[in-house]
Amino acid sequence: MTTALWRRTLLSIGMIALALIIGVPLYYIVINTFKTQADMVSSPLGLPETWSFANWSSALGDMSIYQAFGNTLYVTVLAVLAQLLVGAMAAYAMIIARNRTTRILGSLLLVGFIIPPQSTMIPLYRTLVGFELVDSLNGLVIMYMGGAIFCFFLIQGYMRTLPYEVIEAARIDGAGTNQIFWRIVLPLIKPILVTVGVFQTMWVWNDFLLPTVFLSSPQKETIVLQVYSAVSEFTTDWPAFMTITVIALIPMVIFFVFTQRHIVSGLLAGSVKG
Amino acid sequence: MTTLTTPTSSGASAPTARKRRRRSVEGGWKQITINRAFLIPAIVVFVFLFVVPLLQGLYWSFTDFTGYSPEANFIGWDNYVQILNDPSMLSGLTFTLLFAVGTTLLVTCLAIPLAVQLNKAFVGRNVVRSLWFFPAVPSMAILGLVWSYILSPLPSGVLNTLLSNWFGIEAVSWLSDNTLARFSVIMVGVWAQTGWHAVLYLAYLQSIPQEYYEVAKIDGASPRQQFFAITLPLLMPAMVVSSFLLLTNGLKVFDLPYTLTNGGPGFATYTITQSLVVTGVGQGEYGLSSALAVMFTVAVGVIGFTQLRITSRIGRRFA
Repeated sequence: MTTALWRRTLLSIGMIALALIIGVPLYYIVINTFKTQADMVSSPLGLPETWSFANWSSALGDMSIYQAFGNTLYVTVLAVLAQLLVGAMAAYAMIIARNRTTRILGSLLLVGFIIPPQSTMIPLYRTLVGFELVDSLNGLVIMYMGGAIFCFFLIQGYMRTLPYEVIEAARIDGAGTNQIFWRIVLPLIKPILVTVGVFQTMWVWNDFLLPTVFLSSPQKETIVLQVYSAVSEFTTDWPAFMTITVIALIPMVIFFVFTQRHIVSGLLAGSVKG
Repeated sequence: MTTLTTPTSSGASAPTARKRRRRSVEGGWKQITINRAFLIPAIVVFVFLFVVPLLQGLYWSFTDFTGYSPEANFIGWDNYVQILNDPSMLSGLTFTLLFAVGTTLLVTCLAIPLAVQLNKAFVGRNVVRSLWFFPAVPSMAILGLVWSYILSPLPSGVLNTLLSNWFGIEAVSWLSDNTLARFSVIMVGVWAQTGWHAVLYLAYLQSIPQEYYEVAKIDGASPRQQFFAITLPLLMPAMVVSSFLLLTNGLKVFDLPYTLTNGGPGFATYTITQSLVVTGVGQGEYGLSSALAVMFTVAVGVIGFTQLRITSRIGRRFA
């Protein structure tokens, strides 16, 4: 018994030590937001000599960060809701009318499932320039609509497990396709909508590629883009940069804490875009 | 990839009854029309965001189309030949492959043992799990920037300061030496992804029945034998999913090298995607960048479809 206890203690110590090493970069950015420039250079990992909140007040006093949050929120909410709706509608239509046409369509859509945004980026950029949708948040939302195909596949997989009797009963009671979708199917598939929604939110909120290509004016920047441009702005003032970084990370951390459970269940469902 | 774990056996017994039922569910012609209309948004997305741009790109890849003149002349395979002779694009191709394969192998080799340890009971397990998982939460672009401070090749870089304070080692040129820069980018990629994939393996590990291990113990199997005879084979489906994600994400990599090293030094950590952004959007070389995009798409497509086939085969074997 004692050897088992020893083993467990050793495992505990080893795992915690290893995890702390993994966590060092996170500690590093947070602790340095409370330091002055000189303090940070002399001891990058030590506690601050005097706790300074100047970085925080200057970062939070800058209005552009709120603007960037607003932009990111707008794009993420709109894009993810639209993706889920388009994906769920298609999945529903395919599930209740399964014939050769929908089967062929389903396998065609696999193309959209596998093709990454990079492959279509340049022609789409050119097209959006023509429609004056470059450097516009709505243009960015349109670009993210490609993710609807990914949603479709996951939602369809989940819908297959639903009992048909429910839809059938609603039909006998005289409900139309539309009514069944909004009143019965959508509430029933809520778990998969949440899981897919969490993954798509993490993708859109964190994405760097599409904003960096499609946005150019500073007042339209998303939060990730804002942090990136802050680097050139504060080349010498690292603590100021760290503070913006931490502020940018906070929403994602809160989001992660509340959705952790769904992330794991999504991983188990066997399909994640990462 | 579609779900691996969905049971496929249910409802296969009475196909005709099912068919009839489906028809009754679909309703009359009016409802059928509405039902078809539900497919329209997805088809619009598919046609305008996938089919049209893919075909456009394929056509442009055989022309000398640029953003500055409206004409596009057919030039055959010239763009493809140019890519295979362009040192920056070749370097992008090399490093992208190196990154994809390197992170896939390293993360898989680290995540499985980590998941096995995380599956055991010990004090502080939840904290440890969260710490490992956390790097997967923020944007890779931001993490790249943070690491660029840590790995800064100047003596004031965090790692260099620590090395000289603790061990008296002189400043190491982490990001300014070709080999070290490549190594650093891959290491940060491994750091960011290992925890996430360990959680994926953990989810599968927890579904292995405990009885298997009990029986193996009675038969006198060592922990090592148990790992190779029970754990590893039963983790195969998880390995397929995990390696697919790692490989395709590796091929798509852009944020991390772009913010960590900006493709440098020289073109040592240049990626295909960065090359696409620079030549296509930055320089308006639509023909040339389209050819690169076509090559990239074919590579991702081949890997994606191969993986899907393997997935379904393995899924069938373990079902």
